Amino acid sequence: MSGLWPLTVRELKKWIRNPTFLLTGLVQPIFWIALFGSAFDITRFFPGASSLVLGGAPNYITYIVGGVLTTMGLFTAMFAGTQIIFDRRLGPMGRFLSSPIRRSSIVFSKIISSVIRIMPQVVILLVAAVLIPNGLKFVHGFTILDALVLATAIVLVAFIFSSIFSVIATRMTNMNSIFGIVNLVNLPLMFVSFAMFSSQMMAPWLANVAQYNPVSWSAEAIRMVIINGSLTAAQWTQIGKWLGGLAALAAGLLLLTAYLVEKEIRD
Amino acid sequence: MATIIETKDLTKIYGGKVKAVDKLNIKIEEGEIYGLLGPNGAGKTTTINMLTTRIAPTSGTANVGGFDITRRSLDVRKLIGVVPQDFTADEDLTGRENMMMVSQFYDVPKAKAIETCGVLLKMVELDDAADRLVRTYSGGMRKRLELIIGLIHEPRILFLDEPTLGLDVQTRTQMWNYVKEIQKRLNVTIILTSHYLEEIDELANMVSIIDRGKVLITGTPTELKESLKGDIISLTLVDQKSAELMKTVPDVLEVTDSGPNTVKIKVTNSDESLPKIINFISQHELSTVRLTVTKPTLDEVFLEYTGRSIREEEGGADARKFAMNMRRVRR
Repeated sequence: MSGLWPLTVRELKKWIRNPTFLLTGLVQPIFWIALFGSAFDITRFFPGASSLVLGGAPNYITYIVGGVLTTMGLFTAMFAGTQIIFDRRLGPMGRFLSSPIRRSSIVFSKIISSVIRIMPQVVILLVAAVLIPNGLKFVHGFTILDALVLATAIVLVAFIFSSIFSVIATRMTNMNSIFGIVNLVNLPLMFVSFAMFSSQMMAPWLANVAQYNPVSWSAEAIRMVIINGSLTAAQWTQIGKWLGGLAALAAGLLLLTAYLVEKEIRD
Repeated sequence: MATIIETKDLTKIYGGKVKAVDKLNIKIEEGEIYGLLGPNGAGKTTTINMLTTRIAPTSGTANVGGFDITRRSLDVRKLIGVVPQDFTADEDLTGRENMMMVSQFYDVPKAKAIETCGVLLKMVELDDAADRLVRTYSGGMRKRLELIIGLIHEPRILFLDEPTLGLDVQTRTQMWNYVKEIQKRLNVTIILTSHYLEEIDELANMVSIIDRGKVLITGTPTELKESLKGDIISLTLVDQKSAELMKTVPDVLEVTDSGPNTVKIKVTNSDESLPKIINFISQHELSTVRLTVTKPTLDEVFLEYTGRSIREEEGGADARKFAMNMRRVRR
């Protein structure tokens, strides 16, 4: 009687049946990569940028794909919490709480469905990034293992932030409050990270803070496999550290979420 | 009959200040339709929320189906069905999908759930609309759906919290028939809260009148009405002087003011007393504007025990509540 499966299926049905939500979620990443990536392509006016500040990426789009994929995961995950408030305000929460399902299933169904929703966005974004002029280039190839690193990093980022925002939402009844918090932290999380810019392009204090941001760990791990293709042992060790950090954080937050939600979730 | 629900000094205080339920003691027998009657804010929904384990009591205990609501809340939730006051069905799913989803919450085998779902949808005449999204349902259809969602796992106890709130008279009567049929077919114990007197009168075998979180009286609707010992003759006269004179009418139990130029005369039996009162009116050459005879109703019982009429309390409140519910689901 965990209720996790029927609740997750419910979330996905709601997603598929909402064409606006579905379409904007799929199209938004394309705008990101096409507009942001093309507008800020510093390799066009600064020829040495590739090796100096872009870690060897042939163009800016190739450099920021990892960052855009990560922030896309971040933004989608942040809104997992809003669905909890919708359920509370529109009534279904009352039904869930008077049934014998695990309280944590209510929240985990939102988390899992938000992770699932991110996957088609990832595929669409990668295809779009390759297709746009002077777009994503896999100079040294791209293997199944690289794809696994990419997917793992995004999934872990999604787990981390959907857990945080779901726990916040279980204590809120006002939709505006959760939107306010999302709007407050999304830009700092993105810009105080290496998602869009390398450490060389940042003020030293900002780069120092950004190295502890999980968004940086995911963006850097994805970037490393996209730019370098076949990795050296040292590079794999570094990726292991980033993904290990993300996995540890995700596991800790998911456990904390389960504990807090079983005790705290209410009508 | 065995006792299926029993509360002992059940109390809920919100924020350390607002006492919503105050040392409530009720005993419900298996197979009954038990009515909790009271105005908005009486503590009915808080009582239901505690008995269905949605909120924890501040003090006191309650036993539901043999399980303590605090220590064995999961066991309680397995054997109860709930039809909350608010709409709970997901409007982005169809009626059938909502029912099947809830059946999975209770581990009902799929084949059994499909069968029960079909029977219940047919019973409340929603079989034609079962595969439409709930967002297209009318208020009455949503209420009917809520009723059967609470039954999909064939619970031993069903909680109905204001099941006909805001519905028109025709749909309300239809809902009463469904509730009676459900009780007859499934032999489920039903706990019904309502501030509609006729609803409780029509459905409940036992009633507790609650106000400000306390039980004022418990009994069958007939017992409660008989406890008033008398009929009410309401008489409106042309002026207040005449109304005052009516207070001297002999051989009646009580005469009280009940509005401009109006008195309420309580008599043991109106059939016997009415001719005497008419004689008194002609002897004193009084002019009457209106005369009505009322046999005791639950409203009179409520008035007797609380000092005010539940109908006056509720003027328009239920309509506002229903409109608010509909706005919420349409957002």
